[in-house]
Amino acid sequence: MAHNKHGHITRRALLKAGVALPLVGIAAPNVLSQPLSKSPSTVLDFQTNADVAKAEQEGQLVFYCHENEAGTAGIMQGFNKDFPKIKTSYVRAQTGALYSKILAERQAGRFDVDVLQLSDLAPAFDFQKKGGYEHYESPESGAYKQDNLSTPKGYFFWTGVDPAGIAYNAEKVTGSDAPKGWKDILDPRWKGKISCKISASGLQFVQWYMLRKLYGDGFWQEFAKLQPHAFDSRVQLFDRLSKGDDTITAIGEYPAYILFKSRGAKVEFVAPADGLVATPLVVGAVNKAPHPEVAKLFVDWAMSKRGQAWYQTNPNLYYASVRTDAPPMPTGVSLTQFKLLYPQDWDDYSKQSATFLKEWNGMLGL
Amino acid sequence: MERHARAVSAAASSTESVSAQKIAGYGVATVAAVLVLYPVFYLLQAALDVGDPQTRPPTAYGLDNFEALLNYPQIMLNTLSVSFAATLMALVIGFIMAWILTRTNVPGRLVFEQLMAVPYYLTPLLGALAWSMLGSPESGFLNQFWRALGGSGHVIDINTPYGIAWVMALFEGSVAFVMIGAVMKSMDPALEEASQVIGASRLRTMLRVTLPLVIPGVLGAAIFVFAEMLGSFAVALVLGTPNRYYVITTAIYQLIQQYPPRIQVAAAMGTSLFAVMFVMLFIYRRIVTAGSYVTITGKAFRPRVADVGRLRHLLFCVCVLYLVVSVVLPIATLLYASVQKIAVAFPAADNFTLDNFRAAMSMNAAGSALTNSLILAFATATIGIALMGLLAWLIYRSRLPGAGLIEYVVMFPQAVPRLVFAFGMMWAWLAFPIPIYGTLWLLLIAYLTVFLPLGVRTIAGVMLQVDKSLDECAQMCGASWMFRMRTISIPLLVPGLVAAWLLLFIASVRELGASILLMGPHSKVITPSIVESWFGTASELTATLALIQTFVVAAAVAVLVVVTRRVSTHVVN
Repeated sequence: MAHNKHGHITRRALLKAGVALPLVGIAAPNVLSQPLSKSPSTVLDFQTNADVAKAEQEGQLVFYCHENEAGTAGIMQGFNKDFPKIKTSYVRAQTGALYSKILAERQAGRFDVDVLQLSDLAPAFDFQKKGGYEHYESPESGAYKQDNLSTPKGYFFWTGVDPAGIAYNAEKVTGSDAPKGWKDILDPRWKGKISCKISASGLQFVQWYMLRKLYGDGFWQEFAKLQPHAFDSRVQLFDRLSKGDDTITAIGEYPAYILFKSRGAKVEFVAPADGLVATPLVVGAVNKAPHPEVAKLFVDWAMSKRGQAWYQTNPNLYYASVRTDAPPMPTGVSLTQFKLLYPQDWDDYSKQSATFLKEWNGMLGL
Repeated sequence: MERHARAVSAAASSTESVSAQKIAGYGVATVAAVLVLYPVFYLLQAALDVGDPQTRPPTAYGLDNFEALLNYPQIMLNTLSVSFAATLMALVIGFIMAWILTRTNVPGRLVFEQLMAVPYYLTPLLGALAWSMLGSPESGFLNQFWRALGGSGHVIDINTPYGIAWVMALFEGSVAFVMIGAVMKSMDPALEEASQVIGASRLRTMLRVTLPLVIPGVLGAAIFVFAEMLGSFAVALVLGTPNRYYVITTAIYQLIQQYPPRIQVAAAMGTSLFAVMFVMLFIYRRIVTAGSYVTITGKAFRPRVADVGRLRHLLFCVCVLYLVVSVVLPIATLLYASVQKIAVAFPAADNFTLDNFRAAMSMNAAGSALTNSLILAFATATIGIALMGLLAWLIYRSRLPGAGLIEYVVMFPQAVPRLVFAFGMMWAWLAFPIPIYGTLWLLLIAYLTVFLPLGVRTIAGVMLQVDKSLDECAQMCGASWMFRMRTISIPLLVPGLVAAWLLLFIASVRELGASILLMGPHSKVITPSIVESWFGTASELTATLALIQTFVVAAAVAVLVVVTRRVSTHVVN
């Protein structure tokens, strides 16, 4: 990850973190507080450094999550099934509002959250800079490539990716007329019949960033001429697509495609040859958590094969696992079969945020 | 000697009364001011914050956020035009329905009157979802039927500004009926009878006697409904965004959801509505203080309805039509959608499912969130009625200095979309030393704050009709303020207070804008959970949740109506 190319903490970074710490009410950098070596224990079928008895004594997990209600509840259900003595509760909101909420709470000296899941790396980097994450290196980290972990390790990890291609209503578009690649979505025949997501979506930001890199600035200007309809969630996009309110969606997320296909919707998915745009969904334990052992246990569970299987097969999630030993998705398709498009330079990506917001909101008349 | 003693006793009683009035008046004014101005301070601070948006307190101040509003002229225009259209529709519907059901002998009057409250607790989200299923140009059931019958294109498009205004008027504006109806109920029918005796027609009587007498109620309702429309979120979200038609609330929603969120601009957008609201309030006060709208006097009357002859059958059809479009059709549509995998107009065996009900019952929304909502609604209505009743008395009946100013303070929450006001409340109560943040207590405080305008406006509409002379007469006889409140003012206001209690109860259950942000992990409430479901699951499951909410709330309201009627009869007797 380009965020810290050297992969270690520099003196400048530490100084910067020191400046940021009072803002989030942190007494000391937790990176220094973790024991250097501790042999992990096996719980169920995964490794953890958490003290499970203590976690059960803490008895509670407070989870802040960007995912929709059903998806967030699904994650909690999976963890609670494996650890029934730990009660779960959550708050969900879109990444922007959720991040504002947690920052406001911490600045006011309230530390109610154990684990945070976001759908965009930009706020995750910011939270890391502000010292908001607890440093905890999970024994399950070994099953992940460095690209899918924070730099340095131990602040957050990619609990899955959400890949997206093009999707269309099969009753309105025949196979031969269907778009094959990204440039085909610019066809004027889709004017007023195409959908996308709003600027709050991390995936939409990634798509804007990557296709702009591939096809130049003019790509989105052409797209704007189609007067696309924009929505919050993948479910809304497919709900409209399946009913014919929109004919195609420029950002058809694979998890939503699986969900709607299983319901019998007449929708089809296209994986453009240039690749599927993908956004990571990042999870990290929060420092000053009210239930620190539970937070660690959850991170280990979420990183484990067991947790990843839950994320990957729950109908309201269907996240594609980036574990090196992950099994195929419920459709039998493995993530490795797709060419994925996501930023290689996350610093540059973060810097483009203001341009994206201005251009995207302007395109939608906002 | 005896005369002297009596005079001294009356003077003492009067002093005691003034002192009790002052304590009660200023006490309740202080509570209202803290509830409202404390979050407003944070909101204004955010609107003027031009420093790092992620850092609080602000590091720099300026007017840049207000200047940024100039970039959104279309959104401002959309908001004002759709709010105006919806208010007009709501007032016309509200006035006609209130007149029919309180002043005429239309068949089934009492049943209709009960049913009229239903659109209000159906929630705008339910209404918008149902009408979206009915009237979307492509997938709308009505349009599918139209095409099946050989038509082409669509016969109705609910995603246009008129469609949005129509649904807003039906589901956000139904409060106009309650407010106008409460005033009409308290009106002495002798005035209308006198008009008819001297030869005026029914229509002329309605326009020249009834309408002027209910002007405070209609104006109060107009201001309230217009503000409600300005802050309307769910309908504009469900019906406006598919057509790229944004209003202030949906624009604000986008601004606060994105990363980094533009909360400062959203706060400026929200607080700019203060100006609109205050101009309207100023006009309202000018009109109300310029005329007399007293209809309850020392002279006794029994509420009677006019015999409208054969016209009653036509009026009956109007009532039925209204209930069909606002209650029957939406609920039937959602019921039908809730048993389908993918909601379509024409049934198919392989599309039938009961999974939506199974899924809904297993979700938090159907359990703890609904229970929390009912508890909160009960507490908000009960505490609110005392607080808002006293505020209405303070503003319109007491002669305490500064009472008029309180009305402006009370109207603040109505002027700002709750989505934005919630940020002010979040910052305010996060900084508060007592840890209520993240609990149901915070939501209770939030509801008491955001519903101050609704409660005060509803009670004030009724209070303005009670002649001051009744109270003054008792005062002359030496009755203390507490005694007069207990034996004169409150019993006369009981029907209005009961209506206001139910209104607050229902408003609390359906509250969305403030709750979305202020809900904690252990204090979930129902309506935001349903919106979350709409975002994240499917419209069929959302329809199921909305139906469950509606039926549970309907059952609760039915029980409460029976109880409050008994209490009200007991108090009046």
